[in-house]
Amino acid sequence: MTEPLLSIEGLVTQFDTPDGTVRAVDGVSYDVYPGETVGVVGESGSGKSVTVMSVLGLIPQPPGRIAEGRVLLEGNDLLTFSNAQLRKVRGKDIAMIFQDPMTSLNPVLTVGSQIAEAIETHAPDLEDDAIRKRVVDLLALVDVPNPDDRFDQYPHEYSGGMRQRAMIAMAIANEPKILIADEPTTALDVTIQAQVLEVLKRAQDETNAGTILITHDLGVIAEMADRVVVMYGGRVVETGTVEEIFHSPRHPYTLGLLSSLPRPDTDLERLEPIPGQPPSLITLPSGCAFHPRCRLGNNRERCQFETPELIELGAGRRTACHFHDEMDEQVRLIEQATGAQIEIETEADDT
Amino acid sequence: MLNYALRRFLISIPIILIATFIIFWMISLTGDPLQDMRQLPNITTEQIQRVRDMRGLDDPFYVQYVVWLQQIPTAGFGEYLISPRPIGPDLQRVLIHTLQLVIAAEVIAFIIAVVLGTLSATRQYSIFDYTTTTLSFIGYAMPAFWFALILQVIVIQIFELTGVRILPLANLSSANPGTGLAFVWDRILHLVLPVMSLAIFSIASYSRYMRASMLEVVGSDYVRTARAKGLREGTITRRHAMRNALIPTVTVAALSFGTLLSGSIVVETVFGLDGMGRYLFVMIQSRDPYPIMAVLVITAVVIIMFNLIADLVYGYLDPRIRHG
Repeated sequence: MTEPLLSIEGLVTQFDTPDGTVRAVDGVSYDVYPGETVGVVGESGSGKSVTVMSVLGLIPQPPGRIAEGRVLLEGNDLLTFSNAQLRKVRGKDIAMIFQDPMTSLNPVLTVGSQIAEAIETHAPDLEDDAIRKRVVDLLALVDVPNPDDRFDQYPHEYSGGMRQRAMIAMAIANEPKILIADEPTTALDVTIQAQVLEVLKRAQDETNAGTILITHDLGVIAEMADRVVVMYGGRVVETGTVEEIFHSPRHPYTLGLLSSLPRPDTDLERLEPIPGQPPSLITLPSGCAFHPRCRLGNNRERCQFETPELIELGAGRRTACHFHDEMDEQVRLIEQATGAQIEIETEADDT
Repeated sequence: MLNYALRRFLISIPIILIATFIIFWMISLTGDPLQDMRQLPNITTEQIQRVRDMRGLDDPFYVQYVVWLQQIPTAGFGEYLISPRPIGPDLQRVLIHTLQLVIAAEVIAFIIAVVLGTLSATRQYSIFDYTTTTLSFIGYAMPAFWFALILQVIVIQIFELTGVRILPLANLSSANPGTGLAFVWDRILHLVLPVMSLAIFSIASYSRYMRASMLEVVGSDYVRTARAKGLREGTITRRHAMRNALIPTVTVAALSFGTLLSGSIVVETVFGLDGMGRYLFVMIQSRDPYPIMAVLVITAVVIIMFNLIADLVYGYLDPRIRHG
């Protein structure tokens, strides 16, 4: 592939809390290339959202602070940008779709005017009529029926799915280079989820934006993502293409996520959940943050005391597990337990 | 919107009727209005009875109420108890004076409070925020009559030091107020100190509400959305945050209008203003139930009107109410 559009390098975001400083994001790196969709997966509190919020400078400061790292958008480090410079990037080069469409739209302004605002602020010379026409086209693109009438309606007159589609229209209004969707379907009904994903896909095709799709829903990842970044405890624990992640996970946490996913397409007999709770960032376990919940690690000393580095296994294929070479064995064990096949692709360059 | 406004308006009619009944009933509980008359040394039973017959004081309670209610629109609150002068003209005069005072105080207090509350919320925990917080607690705790006296003392001190009368200390107009714009300017100068005394409490209280609701709004998801769109902070505050934060503040301000009206009693007394508050005070001392009831009815109507205004502004600011 060519140069990455967006490159997050060693990002560290901290929050000062009454209980001490918390590293919500601890050395996260990943790239986004033009036109591709990067799925970011992880449980609540794994730092998925904080990472992208840091990219746009939307972390409330204080208590938040970006301590280290670089965020390169086509070679320019966004973290060194002034507020005025960042404003030009927000909504223009990088646009964002938020989780809860019920609360993410302003209840006292019409939906149309809120989308128009996104265009107007980056193109102040555009005529009102032209903006309105553009907004109506955008609403039509995202399948909002009667877009001309809907322009003047308020968010409370929209259904949940329609609001999220309006949010998508707002995000793609300026044809961004990077589209960040933060749990875009989590707050929606399952049937509506499919529609919204469909619209999101179309929006992405329309703009050819590189997309960061944050979710904890592996089904959404399977449908949408080209590459996957798995996060745990504020760190990246595995990266790879969607096939690699789904067919031969190289981190026990990823395997845990897969084996706890109901899969009607296989002869799955029972789910194999990940034991325990996601860690609190205030009292993150020593060594590998996942070790208290890890079957593979099995409380080995190395896991308890040595934080695993992210090891390069191949092009774009990385894992942060000391014992990733035992993963084939582990996958087999899980398959026996669940009675389902997790297809394993043998890759010669795996060490 | 028109439908909504009409509905709100129609609801206020029965409320006013209920208010008149409660006022009449409670005043009738205060006893015989002719008590003072009976204590006059040269009064005869016949004279007292003549007044009783004239005012219908021996009629059943509900008849008295209906007769009294009827003469509100037909005779403009009727006449004083003893002298045959009509109440209407006096009431009109003092009402206009009081409304000038109270509406000026309300509008000024609201504007200052919205600005202060917004600024302290957007600069939370700054020196400005701490200063306004401290000052508003002082303003909240300060009695209006005391603050009014302090203002008068300051103006007198300035006069003694410099020989300049910067503001009049009492009354609504000078001896020769002039006409036209000169009269208006004279009235404005006379109202400066009373309005300040009356508004200080409202500024303190409204700005606290504005700050609290702004803080809630600036942390909301749609403000984050606005920021992610690349809007300027000023635009976000004005267009997205303030409009939402104003909704609860407008409600509080309109509902507190009664507090301002009652505060005007004290302020009008201190500054010797010919307003409704002082009028009520004088009439209570003379134990005449008719002007007292007239003032109370007018007060009720004004407060209900302000609730109506609050509802309308509320509907204007919040489309969910308008459509609901």
